[in-house]
Amino acid sequence: MTERTLSFQYSTLQQERETVTLGMWAFLATEVLFFGALIAAYFSYRIWFGAEFIAAAKLTKVALGTANTAVLLTSSACMAMAVTTHEAGARRSPVLWLIATALLGVAFILIKGTEWFLEYQEHLVPALNFDLGRRGGVAEIFFMFYFCATGLHALHLLIGICLVSWLAFAIGTDRLKPGSTARLIGLYWHFVDIVWIFLFPLIYLAGRNG
Amino acid sequence: MTARTIWRCWLALIILLSLTTGLAFVPLGTATLFVSLGIAVTKALIVLLFFMELKASSALVRVFAAAGFFWLMIMIALTTADYTHRTDQRVPLDQVR
Repeated sequence: MTERTLSFQYSTLQQERETVTLGMWAFLATEVLFFGALIAAYFSYRIWFGAEFIAAAKLTKVALGTANTAVLLTSSACMAMAVTTHEAGARRSPVLWLIATALLGVAFILIKGTEWFLEYQEHLVPALNFDLGRRGGVAEIFFMFYFCATGLHALHLLIGICLVSWLAFAIGTDRLKPGSTARLIGLYWHFVDIVWIFLFPLIYLAGRNG
Repeated sequence: MTARTIWRCWLALIILLSLTTGLAFVPLGTATLFVSLGIAVTKALIVLLFFMELKASSALVRVFAAAGFFWLMIMIALTTADYTHRTDQRVPLDQVR
């Protein structure tokens, strides 16, 4: 095993942990604003266009959306297991939990892709094949929001899958510097989960009882 | 954080997911949105406090975490207050085209 040292700018592991955790939360606050603006747009559309906007939400695939939420929540639990076992000093179990996390992330993207494909077949993709005559302009605005929100979320998840895969490789091959890298990637992964926790009811559950 | 805590949180999250999906099909009128958002906030708090370990973090980290959400509350409250109180007529979108 090669000798690995803490990054030069820190004097203790504790100092490193406090510094990088705070830095990560500052970054996540900017991400809250990024997705938050999108959600504020959703609320203004929903108030402004009312029933027509909510009716368009009924065209989304609620069963696939619910399954995907369960997949993502489970992936977060796996990520938490990976960080906990890694910080307890285990070598093998964090790698396995990280692989499970990444695979669940891939499963989410595949289910999401299936939904997008079904929506393409139903002529619901704005600027590509949206059936304006049948669905109306307000529905097009809903689907514009839908594709922006789910697309940006999927992009964040893809970045997360890359980070988690790299982390699994780094821990597995014993190349990870001592410090809080695993914890930071965990924070990012859980944040992407939180974004979905809010997108799910707004996109899939609106207007189901009407 | 222990494995026991993590899987208890997971179970709570899955139960809340089933609850919110089930309740979405119950006719609750305008309360539907608030019920689903209330459950979403509860789920987010479980993830924030336990998975993201805010429960065990320093006050400074918690303030940083709260700042983004606090600003978001201001933005959403003022935006929705504006749109709910507009009295001008909306031109039907399909006529504009």
